[in-house]
Amino acid sequence: MRYVAALLAWAVGGDGISVEEFDKLHAQLRPSLEEAWRKIPWKVSLVEAQNVAAREKKPIFIWSMDGNPLACG
Amino acid sequence: MRTRFVPVAVDQWYTRRQKDAEGDWYRKVAAQGPLNDFTSTTQGLYACTPDGKLLGYSNHRSPERTRPLLRKALEEFKPAETAALTVPARDPHLLASAPAGGLVVTVTSKIVDGYEKTEAAETQIFHGSMGRDVLWVLKDEHEALVRGDFPERLKQRIARFHLIDNTRGEPAMWTAEEVKQLQLTLKDGKLTGTVRLEADSKGRRYDTELLGFVETKDGKVTRFDLVSRGQGFGHGGTTEVGAPKGKFTLAIAFRLASGSDEADKAMPQGAKGWVPGYTQLR
Repeated sequence: MRYVAALLAWAVGGDGISVEEFDKLHAQLRPSLEEAWRKIPWKVSLVEAQNVAAREKKPIFIWSMDGNPLACG
Repeated sequence: MRTRFVPVAVDQWYTRRQKDAEGDWYRKVAAQGPLNDFTSTTQGLYACTPDGKLLGYSNHRSPERTRPLLRKALEEFKPAETAALTVPARDPHLLASAPAGGLVVTVTSKIVDGYEKTEAAETQIFHGSMGRDVLWVLKDEHEALVRGDFPERLKQRIARFHLIDNTRGEPAMWTAEEVKQLQLTLKDGKLTGTVRLEADSKGRRYDTELLGFVETKDGKVTRFDLVSRGQGFGHGGTTEVGAPKGKFTLAIAFRLASGSDEADKAMPQGAKGWVPGYTQLR
């Protein structure tokens, strides 16, 4: 009986989150690289960007906001 | 944007303050735009040459405003030889790198329930947005995880700086006093726990349960997967606009950084302005 209880507890996963819910939420919250804006080769370093732009003779586009540069800050 | 520009995204809170060559270069560009008081925000979209000449600026993110900015920049841009920017020493007071021997963990968040339905397109974007941050695990904490221990300092860092709603704007963190309950246990590779966070004077709170898994190999953590799913209420920092009006379900996921995503190179939001406050909880 204790073995069965332990097995059930493991299957449930924790006090409130089941392993199934964990799998679902963890997958749902995986950062996607398929969104259109992620197909742009963003850098997060001005120095790197300037160096590439100088080498390739291109203009620079700076997205200047607050918080994680590649998030919703 | 992909082929004719070099696109870069920055947190201007840092760049406009940085006392180093990178900050100087950024201020040189921003000084030519309308938000050129560096004691205040300089946020916006800038197009410039590699030597820092401004080609265009906009503080609107719509395609209707951004496309003309890009076109104008391309029309005015003249390729020329430009020296590469070098930064002999980065601002040591503002900036820090991920701790050597530690771990970088990707943290994402989403409100999965609690928003009222809306037809407003921009509001719908916020309702579906995913927050993004990084958790730094220090070297001694990494070693503890390998031993099967979950250090108290790491528990506190997760609770205070990462169990937050950062899906809209910049969130407020939790103070030590606002951590009302913190129970996180690592046993045989399984993480379980409950956390209760409450800012008494403001009504903001988050009651959550957590489940996760830690695996190690050859003295290193190879898996750090954790999910928090709990009920939130209220808002803090600059997350007021579009915030849910009542209770909401906030889910937060943690996973080891892939090593190939530029977003994981950012500093943790909680480290902004005082890195020891984040790493050492001082």
